[in-house]
Amino acid sequence: MASASSFVRPTTRPDEIHSLLTGVERYNPQKTGLLEDYLARQCANPDSTNNHDLMANLALLKMYQFNPDMVDLDVIRRILAKALISQSTGDFNLCLYLLSDEICKDGSISKLLTLRNYLERAQFTKFWKEVYGGDEEEDSVVDGIAGFDNGLRRLIVGEITSTYQTIPAKSVEAMVNLDEEAVVRLAKENGWSINTGGVIALPLKSENEAKATVIKENVKFEQLTKILSAANEI
Amino acid sequence: MYQENFDEEFIGDIDAVVENYVNVGEIYEGEMVGEEELIMQAHSGAQSIPEQVRKFLGHLYRNMTNGNVNDLIYNYENQFVRLSDKYYAKTSWPEPQYVAALVGDDGLFLTLYRELYYRHIYSRLHPSLETRFRSFENYCDLFNYILNSDGPIDLELPSQWLWDIVDEFIYQFQSFCTHRSRVAKRAPEEIALLKENPQVWNTYSVLNVLYSLIQKSNINQQLLVSRQGGDVIEAAGPFGVRPLYKMLGYFSIIGLVRVHCMLGDYTLALQTLENIELGNNRALFTRVTACHVTVYYYVGFAYLMMGRYADAIQTFAHILTFVSRTKQYQQRSLHFDAVNKKADQMYALLAVAISLSPVRVDENIHTHLREAYGDQQHKIQRGGEEAIDVLSELFLFSCPKFIMPNPPNYDDLEAASNIVEPQSYQLKTFLREARLQLVVPTLRSFLKLYTTMGLDRLSTFLDMDPAELRNQLIVYKQRCRQIKCTSGSDLLMGEPVATTDLDFALQEDMIFIAESRVGRRYADWFIRNTNKIQDLIGNLETRQKTFIANASKPKEEEQPVVAAA
Repeated sequence: MASASSFVRPTTRPDEIHSLLTGVERYNPQKTGLLEDYLARQCANPDSTNNHDLMANLALLKMYQFNPDMVDLDVIRRILAKALISQSTGDFNLCLYLLSDEICKDGSISKLLTLRNYLERAQFTKFWKEVYGGDEEEDSVVDGIAGFDNGLRRLIVGEITSTYQTIPAKSVEAMVNLDEEAVVRLAKENGWSINTGGVIALPLKSENEAKATVIKENVKFEQLTKILSAANEI
Repeated sequence: MYQENFDEEFIGDIDAVVENYVNVGEIYEGEMVGEEELIMQAHSGAQSIPEQVRKFLGHLYRNMTNGNVNDLIYNYENQFVRLSDKYYAKTSWPEPQYVAALVGDDGLFLTLYRELYYRHIYSRLHPSLETRFRSFENYCDLFNYILNSDGPIDLELPSQWLWDIVDEFIYQFQSFCTHRSRVAKRAPEEIALLKENPQVWNTYSVLNVLYSLIQKSNINQQLLVSRQGGDVIEAAGPFGVRPLYKMLGYFSIIGLVRVHCMLGDYTLALQTLENIELGNNRALFTRVTACHVTVYYYVGFAYLMMGRYADAIQTFAHILTFVSRTKQYQQRSLHFDAVNKKADQMYALLAVAISLSPVRVDENIHTHLREAYGDQQHKIQRGGEEAIDVLSELFLFSCPKFIMPNPPNYDDLEAASNIVEPQSYQLKTFLREARLQLVVPTLRSFLKLYTTMGLDRLSTFLDMDPAELRNQLIVYKQRCRQIKCTSGSDLLMGEPVATTDLDFALQEDMIFIAESRVGRRYADWFIRNTNKIQDLIGNLETRQKTFIANASKPKEEEQPVVAAA
């Protein structure tokens, strides 16, 4: 589910990490390596349904916050890149709160901030251009994140399906940065139908239905306690 | 000296060093003279304590050793405050060494006295660096004594007092962190002292105290068992059954929430509360109003920072309703002013949250909000740079004090003084999200007027490029979905819900708009008025009864009752 919360324990989280996160060992700097290795495993896993463990990554950032001499900017870069494509939009900011202005000044970190700006403003075409554009020599800031593109597409597809009922296939191509053929495949995967005019019809769900409703009041039992107790006295 | 130039500029917890240094110097001299003289001095020092204060200290000491908690409540909440106002409004309480003679050198009592003594300095005077160090050492003594004794110590203190100890401990920690990070305002000697003593008010040691108190009292197990059923006494263990340990453990959980928020770790803050049920009217935190308010303040703030505005609103509205309802009973309480200040801050935060995610709140809260922050809310809703200014202003007025967990680099003062304060960094990060949220009110005001509308038409209204408008519509959709806490117990978990009454869908370039309306609340109206009339009838009946009862009594006693009626 797209709504899966980042606070639920992912199935891929080992017990060792789980007990670290729920105890005081999370402050033990010697455990930093453990969390870093775990991040590496998250980055190597291309399956976007279970390859992000926000709580563990926040614990790692906290280690860095407490022990500035241990800070590894490349690790922070990867944590932020993972949070960028997380299905929970708040994850990225939660990571940022644990950083500092100094760290944000780093080249790749500030580039990620720019990317995040495009993404949260739904400027997807700009995002695609920025993420792989630029210097050929330079490694991309999302280097080493397995399944980054697909994770991102999953995110964008989610936005499209909750806003549109019908949308030209051409627009989708630009938004997910795929050619016509690939979008046809994407449509098939998601159960969308494309009509002859090249317009995609998306299945209706609660988000893109836009139905007018009247919110009815809901009387809770507690509201009636006083009346009921009075009735009892009579 | 150059600190003097800064004295005028700052208020509150920022320090005027010079005067206090003089005092400290005197103590040192005192320590160098012979023992006999010292005793003489202590006696004359004790003599200089006003009679009333001496009596008070004697009572306090006796009630503490005899375990008269009820009397201690009176000593602590009333007498201490009154004597502070009367004799020590502008000076510190008597030096602990002078008090020692009055209480037979009781170590534990003196440690607790020193805690009060330093706390008083922090609240009314400007603590010097020396004082900050000594206060820390005193806390270490106190907590070491409590935590490292073989069995539970034989002491009972009122809950309010215990809360104040934990709360003050964290406040002084925060104050110290802020103090040391402002390197430009520190004298060279101070820098040297700070550099030599990195262990003082060290973040790890502060966390260590809080976690140790939690562990020693088994408070989490106790809370778990009391919720799920089982033997609480067994879960509590030999320490946790004592009120002192139990309450200290409990308050440490709340203290941890605060520390996590000060460090920007909002998820951990909420996770810490996993065993405490918010909204439970009989929960332990309700025993001390200051604690009650603190829990909700930090939970609400954490939600706000997480972009969970709906949850933040609910949290603030709940506690603000409580504060306004109980105001009349609180007027004489110890922390009336502090609670009111927190309430003011929460109204400001509520104004922020409601402007970003409009929703209906309780009538009284709404009225107060409109009076106090109506202007600001209006400006936020209008959007643009002015909205950001107003948001920043409200945020800085009402946010907790943020800290850096580590000391600055004292070897490179130039660089250390240029470090961006955590306050502004947190604000900046918060605004990243909030800025996006401003799309909602702007778009909403236009969409509200139509049921269907072409994209190009809206783009001319807004004077915005159609392609950008498409993006903004996606942002609107995204921003109107929030994770909202559903079950009362787990604060982090939640379900995505729509937080707007105005929804839309796009069919290519056509916008279809749907508005949800709130139906009339008939049942609510009837219930409220039934309750009202019931109260009225009850009132009349009791009056009638007293009247009849009085009528049968002798005549002279009748007079005052009739007058009262």
